[in-house]
Amino acid sequence: MIRIANAQLWVHDQEEALAFYTQKVGMEVRADVTLPEMDGFRWLTVAPPGQEDVSIVLMTIPQAPVMDGETAEQVRTLMAKGFAGTVFLTTDDCQASYEELKGRGVEFSEAPEERPYGIDSGFRDPSGNSIRLTEVKLPAGV
Amino acid sequence: MAHVPPARHLLRAKDLADARYAEPLEVDDLARAAGLSKAHFSREFRRAFGDSPHAYLLTRRLERAAALLRTTDHSVADVCLSVGLRSIGSFTTSFTRAFGVSPTAYRAEHPPAASQALVPGCVVRAYARPQHRTFREDKAPTPT
Repeated sequence: MIRIANAQLWVHDQEEALAFYTQKVGMEVRADVTLPEMDGFRWLTVAPPGQEDVSIVLMTIPQAPVMDGETAEQVRTLMAKGFAGTVFLTTDDCQASYEELKGRGVEFSEAPEERPYGIDSGFRDPSGNSIRLTEVKLPAGV
Repeated sequence: MAHVPPARHLLRAKDLADARYAEPLEVDDLARAAGLSKAHFSREFRRAFGDSPHAYLLTRRLERAAALLRTTDHSVADVCLSVGLRSIGSFTTSFTRAFGVSPTAYRAEHPPAASQALVPGCVVRAYARPQHRTFREDKAPTPT
């Protein structure tokens, strides 16, 4: 059986991303390991409390020779434009989670709104990655 | 802190348009959110996202207006105002240019909003139950 364990998100700055995902979104650190033998590579993952078997890897954009400078700049630009990826979070109460995160300083680009699949809202992390926060309510029979 | 690419500031302006289109927001406000002068901002925004900030804000408002026309029974004037546009005349003109039909015609092309209302089952049961009729209902009521 194949299962999802981690999915990776590029971030501009791991400290900034860590503060955002833990202090504002309310996630917890699952792993934070720096490997000196690998040029200081830092494996940093976060996940929502209570969801044990999946986490988001907050990955810094590598330098050469791992990634050439031009490619790194392209990734940075894509991320800054908001086109580098999306994380889809679900909640059992979109309005309540929205208020909670907003109270902690998360700026939403979309306030909760009724959609055919439930109540949906959206915000960005400091790097520009898009985060959806959705209360899924499928119509009966789907 | 890593160097922040300039596009990140432009994205802030784009997000502001997406979040607060309903308010009397203008390109000046977007430029301020990006921390750039208006002329420079407009040029950079267009380079990053393919549309001028004015066009992006307007089409966001038109998209939201179209959604309201489909999903509510609010008047065209109310829809116009509730997406942050103040002139009904120019709203109708821009809407028609964008969607190929007027707001009224656009609404008529879509199923009425009432058909999409997720009315709770208890309300349906209470209000949709037909009046009891018998085969003899056309005749004078029979004494009971």
